[in-house]
Amino acid sequence: MWRRMVAMIRKEFQQLLHDWPILFILMWAFSGAIYVAGHAVRIEVNNYPTVILDLSRSVQSRELVSLIRAPYFKIVAYARNDDEVVQFLDTGKASLAVVIPPDFERRVAAGSGRFQIISDGTISQTSIMATSYIARIAGVYNFQLLTQRLGVTPRDLANIPQVDARIRVEYNPNVDNVWFISLLEMLNMITMVSMLLTAAAMVREKVYGTLEQLLVSPLRPIELFMAKIIPTVVIIMLLSLVSLFVIVQGVFHTPIRGSLLLFYSVMAIYVFSVSSFGLLVAVFARNLAQAMMTLFLILMPMMFLSGAFTPQESMAPWMQYASLISPMRYFMDFGYQVLFKGNGVAYVWHDVLGILVLGTLMFGLSVWRFRIELK
Amino acid sequence: MLDRSRAIIRKETRELLRDPVYLGMAFVIPVVLMLLFGYGLSMDVKHLPIAFVDHERSPHSRDYIDSFVNSDYFDFIGVLEGPAQAEHWMRSGRARVIIDIPPDFGRKLTSNKATTVGVTVDGSFPTRAGVIIAYVTIINAQTNERLLSRYVSRLGGSAQLFAPIQVNTSFWYNPTLESNNMIVPGMLVLILMLFPAILGALVVVREKESGTIFNLYASPVHRWEIILGKAVPYITVAFLDYLIIFAMSILLFQVRFTGSFWVLTSAALLYSICTIGVGLLFSIIMRTQLSAMLVTFLATMTPAFNYSGFLSPVSSMDAQGQFIAHLIPATYFMEVVRGVYLKGLGLGFFWPNLLALTTYTLVVYSLAWLFLNKRIR
Repeated sequence: MWRRMVAMIRKEFQQLLHDWPILFILMWAFSGAIYVAGHAVRIEVNNYPTVILDLSRSVQSRELVSLIRAPYFKIVAYARNDDEVVQFLDTGKASLAVVIPPDFERRVAAGSGRFQIISDGTISQTSIMATSYIARIAGVYNFQLLTQRLGVTPRDLANIPQVDARIRVEYNPNVDNVWFISLLEMLNMITMVSMLLTAAAMVREKVYGTLEQLLVSPLRPIELFMAKIIPTVVIIMLLSLVSLFVIVQGVFHTPIRGSLLLFYSVMAIYVFSVSSFGLLVAVFARNLAQAMMTLFLILMPMMFLSGAFTPQESMAPWMQYASLISPMRYFMDFGYQVLFKGNGVAYVWHDVLGILVLGTLMFGLSVWRFRIELK
Repeated sequence: MLDRSRAIIRKETRELLRDPVYLGMAFVIPVVLMLLFGYGLSMDVKHLPIAFVDHERSPHSRDYIDSFVNSDYFDFIGVLEGPAQAEHWMRSGRARVIIDIPPDFGRKLTSNKATTVGVTVDGSFPTRAGVIIAYVTIINAQTNERLLSRYVSRLGGSAQLFAPIQVNTSFWYNPTLESNNMIVPGMLVLILMLFPAILGALVVVREKESGTIFNLYASPVHRWEIILGKAVPYITVAFLDYLIIFAMSILLFQVRFTGSFWVLTSAALLYSICTIGVGLLFSIIMRTQLSAMLVTFLATMTPAFNYSGFLSPVSSMDAQGQFIAHLIPATYFMEVVRGVYLKGLGLGFFWPNLLALTTYTLVVYSLAWLFLNKRIR
C-alpha cells in the first residue's frame, strides 16, 4: 500500500513543481498579497478627514479646534463658507465638518455655547465613532473652561472628583491593525489554497481522462485520495512558514506568543480536512469551471462567517449558529488564540474538537461519494 | 467583419447555456452573498460582554457599574473574584472588557478626590477594541460630567460656571445610520469586481487547456474580434447580475436611493465591461485555468475589499494606501455608487470617475489585445 501511494505522491509533486506559474502565484499569495492587505485601514477612526468652518475666529474657537487633532482627525481644509463645506462632503474629500457659529465666543461666555458637526453617515459605524470622539473633545474643552473659571492650577486637579479610566489593551497595546490583518490574511490563504489546489488536481485527472488510468491501476480509492491531499498539506505548511516568519513576524513585527508546535499540528489536520472537502467538490464537478464556482459559493460565505471580517458580536444570532458548521470558524479562533494570545490546549480544545469532527465528516463523505461515483 | 465576432458570441453563448450548473452559479453566488450580508451582517458592534472586578462593593462602585450595564453597548456578564479569574475570562474571550474598581473608589470621590479605574480591553480584534475604547470613554465622560456638575453646585457656584458646550450633530446622506445603507451598495461594488473578473478569467484559458484555441488561431478572425466575441456574453451576464443586485437592494433591503438610476446603470455597465476585461486579460496571459483563477482572485478580492473605501474613507489612508486605492477600478465605482445611492449627486460629480473607468477599460483591453498572440512561441 505504502509503495503505491508514495509513487503517486511523487507524481503529484513533480506535476506541481513543474508548474512554475502556480508556484509563483502561491509564493505571492503567501507573501506579497499578505503584505498588501496588511497595510489596509479598517473601520477605526484614524486620520478622519475633517473640514473646519470657523465663523467665530476667536480665541475660544481656536482652542476648540486645536483639540481636534491626530491620530483621530486630519484637518484637510478650513472652509470659507457653507458651499465649500457641502462640496468637501459631497466629493468625499472630508467625512466630517465642524461648524463654529459667529457668536461662539459671546455665547460661551454667557454659558450657552454650541457648535455644529456634520458627519457623513455613509460608513455608519465609523461615522458614529468619529462623532463620539468629537463629543469627548467637547467634554475635554468643557473641563478646561471650568478649571479656567475656577482658577484651578494643575496641582489642584487631584482635588476634583473625577474618574480617570486608564485603558490598557491586552495582546495589542497600540491597537495595531496590521497585526490582525496579516494573520487573518494568512489563515484565509491557507483555507482558500488548500481547497482550490486539491480540487484542481483531481478535476484535471478527470478532464484529461487520466483518472480512468488511475482507476484501472492497483491504486485503491483511499490511496488515491491521500496521494492528492498530502502534497497540498506539505506545500501549504512550507508556504505558511514563510509567511509567518518573513511577513507576519519579520515585516510587520506581529508578536507570536503561543506554541508553534500546537499551531502546526492542528493546522495540518485543518488543511487535511479542508482539502478533502475540495476533493468532494471535485468528485461532483464535470469541469474545472464548475468546481471553481462551487468552491467559491462555499468559500466566500465561509470566509465572511468565520468571524474574521467582523467580530462575532456584530453578526445576527442565526448567522452565529450557521457559522458553527464552518471549519474555518474554529480555525480562525484557534489561530488567534494560539498565535496571538498565547493560549494553550486548555483554552482551544473545543476548536480542535470542532476541526477534528468536521474534518472526519468531510473526509469520510468524500471517500464515500467517490466510491459511489465510480460504480 | 462583425459577422465573425457575432459567430464567436453565438458560440460562447451556446457554451454558457449548455452548462447550466456553471451559468446558474453565476447568478446564485451573487444572490447568496447579498442575502448573507444584507440580513446577517451589521457593522454595529453591540452587546459586548463586560465584567467587573469590584474591590469596594459600595453604592458608588455599583452606580459606576450600572452606568455601563444600562447602556445598549455592553452585556453584563458578572462581577469577578479577582485578577486570576479576570485573566482567565479575558483569555477565553468570555469577557471582552474588564473594569477594575479600586477599594477606595467611592471614598475618594466623596472626599472630592480624583480616582482611577483600570480598564482592560481584549485587543485581539482591533476594530472591536477600538469600538470598546470609544464606548468606555464616552460612558466614563458622562459619569465625570455628572460628578463635576454636582461638585460645582456644592461649591455654590452658579449654573453659568459649569454650562457645558452643546454639540449639535447631524448625519448627512444616511440620517438613520442604517448599516445596510453602507453594506449593500458596497457589496454591489465588490461582487461586480470579483465575479465578472472570475467569469472572464476562464474564457480563453479553458480553450488553451482543451486545445480548441487552435481552431481560433487557424481561422481568419482578428484578435480584437476574438476578444469582442468572448467578452460580450459575459458582459451580459455581469450586467444581469447588476440588475438583480440592484433590484434586491431596493426591493428587499430598501436601501436609501436618492440619485438617478440611469447614471448608476451606465456606470455599472462600464464597470462590468472593465472587470470582465480584467479577467480576460489574466485568461490570455495565464496558461492554466487554476493559475488564471488564482491570479484573478488575488488581484481583485483583497485589494477591492481593503482599499476601495468599503470600510473606511479613502482619504483617511496614507499615501501608499491611496496609491493602491487608485490602482483598482472598484475605488472609482464605489464613489459613484455611494454618490448615487446616498448622496443623490448628479452626473456632473462623476465625470472624473467615469473618465478613469473608461481609461482603465481601454488599457485593460489593449493589453489583452497585445498579449493575445495568434502564433505559438
